[in-house]
Amino acid sequence: MAQIPLPLAVGRHHRFENFVAGSNAEAVARLQALAASHDPATLWLAGPAGCGKTHLLQAATSSAPAGAMYIPLRVTGASGPGMLKGLDALEFLALDDIDAVAGDHEWERALFDLFNRVQCAGGQLLFAAGNPPAHSGLLLPDLASRAASAVVYRLSPLDEEEALDALRRHAQSRGLELPDPAARYLLTRISRDMPAICRWLDELDSASLAAQRKLTVPFIRDALAERT
Amino acid sequence: MTANSAAHPSLWSQCLRTLELELTEQQFHTWIRPLQPVDEGSALKLLAPNRFVVDWVQENCLSSIIKVAGHVPVVLEVGSRKPPLVAAASTAPVSQPRRPVIGSQLDSNFTFDNFVEGKSNQLGRAAAMQVGRNPGSAYNPLFIYGGTGLGKTHLMHAVGNVILERDPTANVAYVHSERFVGDMVRGLQHNTIADFKRTYRSLDALLIDDIQFFAGKERSQEEFFHTFNALLEGQRQIILTCDRYPKEVSGLEERLKSRFGWGLTVAIEPPELETSVAILMSKADSEEIPLPEEVAFFIAQRIRSNVRELEGALRRVIANSQFTGHPITLEFTKEALRDLLALQDKLVTIDNIQKTVAEYFKMRVADLHSKRRSRSITRPRQIAMALAKDLTTHSLPEIGDAFGGRDHTTVLHACRRIKLLRETETRVAEDYGNLLRTLTG
Repeated sequence: MAQIPLPLAVGRHHRFENFVAGSNAEAVARLQALAASHDPATLWLAGPAGCGKTHLLQAATSSAPAGAMYIPLRVTGASGPGMLKGLDALEFLALDDIDAVAGDHEWERALFDLFNRVQCAGGQLLFAAGNPPAHSGLLLPDLASRAASAVVYRLSPLDEEEALDALRRHAQSRGLELPDPAARYLLTRISRDMPAICRWLDELDSASLAAQRKLTVPFIRDALAERT
Repeated sequence: MTANSAAHPSLWSQCLRTLELELTEQQFHTWIRPLQPVDEGSALKLLAPNRFVVDWVQENCLSSIIKVAGHVPVVLEVGSRKPPLVAAASTAPVSQPRRPVIGSQLDSNFTFDNFVEGKSNQLGRAAAMQVGRNPGSAYNPLFIYGGTGLGKTHLMHAVGNVILERDPTANVAYVHSERFVGDMVRGLQHNTIADFKRTYRSLDALLIDDIQFFAGKERSQEEFFHTFNALLEGQRQIILTCDRYPKEVSGLEERLKSRFGWGLTVAIEPPELETSVAILMSKADSEEIPLPEEVAFFIAQRIRSNVRELEGALRRVIANSQFTGHPITLEFTKEALRDLLALQDKLVTIDNIQKTVAEYFKMRVADLHSKRRSRSITRPRQIAMALAKDLTTHSLPEIGDAFGGRDHTTVLHACRRIKLLRETETRVAEDYGNLLRTLTG
């Protein structure tokens, strides 16, 4: 599905300000402090899909002051490990989806080399994966042990009230009026993870625009019925 | 940063604004953020960390940049404007250390003073100290081997630091073996292999880490063999680390293996419990963090594999304590490390919930899916649904589906019912609490 970014979409960008931290406040505070400094550091975010790892990594990349790069390994992994070459020239690197390359010998060698170079250069490294380093599926012992030296933060998915808060904020950033009953109704019928919430808000946004109707419970019910 | 920025800082900001609108956020963060503008007379020069970034930008948005730049020519190439690195700023010694001709700066944090000695590393430490005092003559080469994360690199840097301390003009290089290979390949590509040879052979001490990564790289081994001989002949010090005994590294030439054994070969073993505790205490001490001994014992008992992981765990506890303002106690540490120490990620799934609930109430999972409506089955089913709602991110219809294709209103009803019963019936509250604990460990 092609997404045409509009100038108005700035509010939808992954930023610290629009991240609903829930029980992950410590990790968020640490990342903010990291991105605002030049101190060398290695952090590892672990947590299930949809708990906000990508959001935080991109938010940190966006606030990093100097040369920074966000590397979604699941997307760019196809280019091969050569794409990690020379990245130690940057001060901030955020590597998302380590799981996508864990267990691949060539990739692990390249990550190991990058790790050493970044540490020597005093750069900042941020990793995200489903699990903490010890259970991340890394096979190269040298890389696994270096990864184990990272400060690990386990992110938890949002609970119901936090998800409701997130839903409200994201609706607001889209300029959508979402009354409380409608928000609660929607939230019990869709997955509570952020990508799902954003996807459905986008759908409802265009549906309400097309139908020229407000987001009420009956409207959402019909829209959901049509799409599931 | 900005002082050293492009001749056209505002022009580049303008480009960034345009690109931010034209590209997806991910593309912007992946391919545009790594570009660094540099001062290049009248042109807008952009440095990319590698070929991949250059190619992507050329294909996807260079035309936009050129358009915004207008009459200012745009140059895009691989390069870095990073200033020469200085050892960790906070601990940099007063006299600026000599910049190595190759490899990386020695890490001044790695010294003999903060290398915690134990039975597991006594010999290695003593040998390394000898080498630091008499480089080139005590043991040459010094070959340190042992598992990953046990302190080989620390010892190596400590020797280098002592050599420099005693002779600040000494030319000491710390090079990871992957980097040696990389330098050599570049030398071959750019026809500068003679420079490569000259530089490496002019060193007073060469410290090469993780030489197991030479395995299978014949050309690098060949080159290293000659470098090795030249340095040894000139009585320059060589220190090597490896994850195993030299003879056991497969894919390494015999002549190299035998040379590695010419000096002294020492092993570093995993630390015993007491050494681990001492390492933690010393680390905390250096950061001026009060660490109760029982906490150090707790961490050391649970993390036995290597020192790096030990330090990672300690860093996590310190960070957590600084964030919450809570002093580091045993209870606090157990809580802070709960995630890290949990053997397997306890991912709660509906399947898992159904199994646990069925087991708890001594019934079959099939009963939870069934249409039966006797109370002995309905209540556990409702509890399981409520748990699924609370512990997973699944929607009500998805939960209904997982319970024998029930309607989402049934799930909603179950959740409300259980919520009410937990407030009014102790038994239900207890059952729910027990199951919650079992599931979330």
